[in-house]
Amino acid sequence: MTGQRHNTHFRKLLVGYDGSPQSEKAVDIAFTLAKCLDATVLIFAVARPPEPATSVELEAVLDDAKEHFEEGFKKILEKARSLDVEVKTDMAVGHPAEQIIHRAETDGVDLIILGRRGRSRIARMMLGSVSERALRYAHCPVMVVH
Amino acid sequence: MENVWVLASVWVGLALIATLIAIWFKISTALTEIVVGTVAQLVIGAFFVHAELGGKTGWISFLAGTGAIVLTFLAGAELDPKIFRTKWKEATVIGLVGFFGPFFGCTAIAHYILHWTVRSSWLAGVALSTTSVAVVYAVMLELGFNVTDFGKAVLAACFINDLGTVIALGLIFSPFTIKTLIFVVVSVVVFAILPVLTPRFFKKYGGRVSEVEAKYLLFLLFAMGGLAVWSGSEAVLPAYIIGMVLAGSVGKDHILIRRLRTLTFGLLTPFYFIRAGSFVSVPALIAAPLVFVVLFFAKMLSKIIPLFPTVKAFDYQKEEGLYFTLMMSTGLTFGTISALFGLNHGVITQAQYSYLVATVIGSAVVPTMIANAWFMPRHLLGTKREEKSTLSQAMSENAN
Repeated sequence: MTGQRHNTHFRKLLVGYDGSPQSEKAVDIAFTLAKCLDATVLIFAVARPPEPATSVELEAVLDDAKEHFEEGFKKILEKARSLDVEVKTDMAVGHPAEQIIHRAETDGVDLIILGRRGRSRIARMMLGSVSERALRYAHCPVMVVH
Repeated sequence: MENVWVLASVWVGLALIATLIAIWFKISTALTEIVVGTVAQLVIGAFFVHAELGGKTGWISFLAGTGAIVLTFLAGAELDPKIFRTKWKEATVIGLVGFFGPFFGCTAIAHYILHWTVRSSWLAGVALSTTSVAVVYAVMLELGFNVTDFGKAVLAACFINDLGTVIALGLIFSPFTIKTLIFVVVSVVVFAILPVLTPRFFKKYGGRVSEVEAKYLLFLLFAMGGLAVWSGSEAVLPAYIIGMVLAGSVGKDHILIRRLRTLTFGLLTPFYFIRAGSFVSVPALIAAPLVFVVLFFAKMLSKIIPLFPTVKAFDYQKEEGLYFTLMMSTGLTFGTISALFGLNHGVITQAQYSYLVATVIGSAVVPTMIANAWFMPRHLLGTKREEKSTLSQAMSENAN
């Protein structure tokens, strides 16, 4: 494809993954783009500890998140193999927006793709919107999938 | 409420509401359970004069007490003995400073500024001396410090800090008699034998459907808890130390720990935290909000002032040291356990209990709320500072 040879802008894509249908959609879009642009994809999941983190509950939440994401990663890797897209998966702990922005910067990511969760106004006020924060602070373009 | 099943359904219903709130807002379940308990008691009290949620009922007290014991055991079992062995010097010094600073600081402020009695002031010191291993660990993971020497020392120090709290709670308020001596001697022997005996016992009889491991551990916790209470001490003291001495064996058994967690979160801790919340008097908090403010700042300052230079003395960088200090300024589980102990043993009044629980919650929630309200990625904060200093450097160079 000619697009593949001339693409110098979007070589590395990062998808914020949380297992929700919106993030699955973001993964699909990332794979389509990666195929067209010959880009690599990093599927990045963030386990968010409850706030404030309390003894025992934190470990339980992290264990559950690890299992949940690993299961999702398996399916994603199978899909990537069938589409012949180069993909990596990784996981971090912390505030999702912060971790995504930081990882995108350290890895030199060219485009962040996120699914919009559509939280209620109260939940947004309490938790903040990951996509809004990524749009504001990320060093690269951010695509928000509805 | 005489019908046990109706009362049980009310409590488990409240636990369900608390869990849903925790899921929606990504808040700790312990926190929502305390708040739901407080609100439920307030509502019941407002609509039905003299009505209570039933927190003093025998079986609720038993489930709540068991919740505190098992939760404390699991918290102790999270210790990594390897980390502790490599960093024991720093961990011990920093952990003890982190304990003694607020212990003496908050005791003094409660006594001399709030004019609480000597025993109530000591209890305030104990309840506010605690730290949160979980909060520290979460931030460590977030910043990637958990694999550094600094991170390992921080985590180990938190265990020492909490051990100080638990020992103080277990020994200060009990009269020193022959019973205390028997309790201490038996405890030392049991704590020495357990790390050897337990893995052998589990190897021989464990891994069966009959859950021998869970029964063995509950037997130990109840027996040592019973001995502690008999001697005038507190049941969570042996539970925490048993957790710590078994951290290298039971703590590594992931499947067993998960089963115990299910028992703890599914049934026990909701009763503990809702009960703790139901004793909080909102009218008392509204009547004298300044007491909360005084205790909150007492806790924060008495942690930060002695800890910061101590951390710096171990050659940690300024920013790391500040994180360390701030993170050690909170603690929900042991804070509420200590306050509840004080209320149950008549050491503090219900109003004092309410201030202490509010302070413990405040110290855990306020920093989080501030961080969320003025969100800014941490690494960019550093960049901004660097940019600023480079700019001011450039300006001063130009001026010269």
